[in-house]
Amino acid sequence: MTEHRSSDPAHVHDATVVVERVSKWFGHKVAVSDVSCSFGPGVTGLLGPNGAGKTTMLRMLTGLILPSEGSVTVLGSAPRDDVAVYSKVGLVPEEDAVYGFLTATEYVRYAAQLAGVADPATSARQALQRVDLLDEADRPLAGYSKGMRQRAKVAAALIDEPQILVLDEPLNGTDPVQRAHLINIFQDLGRAGHTVIVSSHVLEEVERMTNRVIAMVDGKLAAAGNVAAIRSAMTDIPYRVRVDSSDPRALAAALVTDEAINGVEFEDGLLRIETGDLRTLGTKLPVLSRELGVRITGFRPEDESLESVFRYLVRGR
Amino acid sequence: MTAVLAIARNTTRQLLGAKRLIGFGLLTLSPAFLFFLSSRNVSPSRLLDQFLGIGLGTFYIIVVPVITLIVSASALGDERRDSTLSFIVLRPIARWAIALAKLGSAFLASFALTGSGAFAMGAMYGLRADDWGYVVPMVVAAAIATAVYSAVFVPLGYVAERSTLLGLAYVFIWENGVAAVTGLSSTSPWRIGYSAFYALVPDDGVRQIEDFGVPGVDGGISDALTTGLIFLALSATVITLLLKRRDLA
Repeated sequence: MTEHRSSDPAHVHDATVVVERVSKWFGHKVAVSDVSCSFGPGVTGLLGPNGAGKTTMLRMLTGLILPSEGSVTVLGSAPRDDVAVYSKVGLVPEEDAVYGFLTATEYVRYAAQLAGVADPATSARQALQRVDLLDEADRPLAGYSKGMRQRAKVAAALIDEPQILVLDEPLNGTDPVQRAHLINIFQDLGRAGHTVIVSSHVLEEVERMTNRVIAMVDGKLAAAGNVAAIRSAMTDIPYRVRVDSSDPRALAAALVTDEAINGVEFEDGLLRIETGDLRTLGTKLPVLSRELGVRITGFRPEDESLESVFRYLVRGR
Repeated sequence: MTAVLAIARNTTRQLLGAKRLIGFGLLTLSPAFLFFLSSRNVSPSRLLDQFLGIGLGTFYIIVVPVITLIVSASALGDERRDSTLSFIVLRPIARWAIALAKLGSAFLASFALTGSGAFAMGAMYGLRADDWGYVVPMVVAAAIATAVYSAVFVPLGYVAERSTLLGLAYVFIWENGVAAVTGLSSTSPWRIGYSAFYALVPDDGVRQIEDFGVPGVDGGISDALTTGLIFLALSATVITLLLKRRDLA
């Protein structure tokens, strides 16, 4: 575990994986640029659009590629220099990379043998059971759907309950039921104190798994921390709030001239307010409600979802 | 040890798929079949000449390198191309152990094919000439040549995108062209294997091979084994370094 930097949301106090000023370039193309962050127990989402540098970052975390500059330490070691650290790391790669000629049982048992698990056959069965693949486990992986292969990869990565689990777009190709099941597994691992790092460009997926995100855009760290905290730190970007009331028209007329309000939209009986100062709006609305005799039945910020935070981050670059 | 054996077993199975077994099975048996066809009406005095000619010109110079190239270059090359190599390298296994497992399985898979062809060729001569003294030299020479080719082609398959093309250039342009005329012929894998054959065959075979005048095949069995081991040690070192230092992008 490493010392934390208390005020920096990109770092955690009980870090198991530490990224220090890491850059990676391939020829003239910069894939990751001067990123520092850390990951600790629990689930952390690594977010970014395609090409943001997420996969390069995850490959550096696991030692598959070396940083051009900076350093990555996993449980205090550089993975390339100390292969023993791999007994505590599991990876689910983004690529659909499995041995097609093996059955799922053989594939996961192979993972168990490589990991040095005491009873590979039993461990393989348990891991397959965990991802709900045991009934289909004796078919060659080549005949599996993409979602099934993803689950086989997750089973192989979980074979020795690694302390650190790195998942690169792990839900690709899975159906909603499988997705929910895998998300539960990752959340359980996070709650049990494992460091789970999940990359995704599908924000809704990450939002369901975790509150802590590290967002990358164009190879750089765009934001880090709690989703709502990231959103409130972006003071230059107005909030959008939906207000449900008994008389939205009257409320809109009263708000439209207010200094704290950037804009008001009235559509299909719904009132949407844009403001740079959510707190002022929050104190003003009850006053207006009393003065106008309007009953407010709902007040919901519309853009604290990862999708909108992410959209702002990308737009700002 | 379990991990190393698991890698070797899985790799051997990967390298010997059904299509390869059939295709290369036919290729490796083709010199024996060719000898069977061409020796039907040959006089006993010409039989050995025919056998050695096909054995050298077809089996050792073409069949052994081509089969070993395709099979051995896949040992790490296919894993890199299919992105399955991370499955192996992200495990607590020493890189040299992975290198040895890959080299060993590449040799075993290749030799399963080339050894069968060598045995068939020697046995075919035994049937025709009622002389079984060439079976063991054929198989030993195939084993040594296959091992040395594996030592060259396993790392080549890992580093080169077009390993087959480069491997064929190595065999047909470098090994049988440039090296043969520049005094480097003793480093040619098939010649290293053929040196063992030359050392092990009965006397009539020795005389015949000397008549062929093949350069670089007079080192003897111990030289062949030593050179083969040097190639394998160098190859294992190179693969270990590549696994340690090369990015798996």
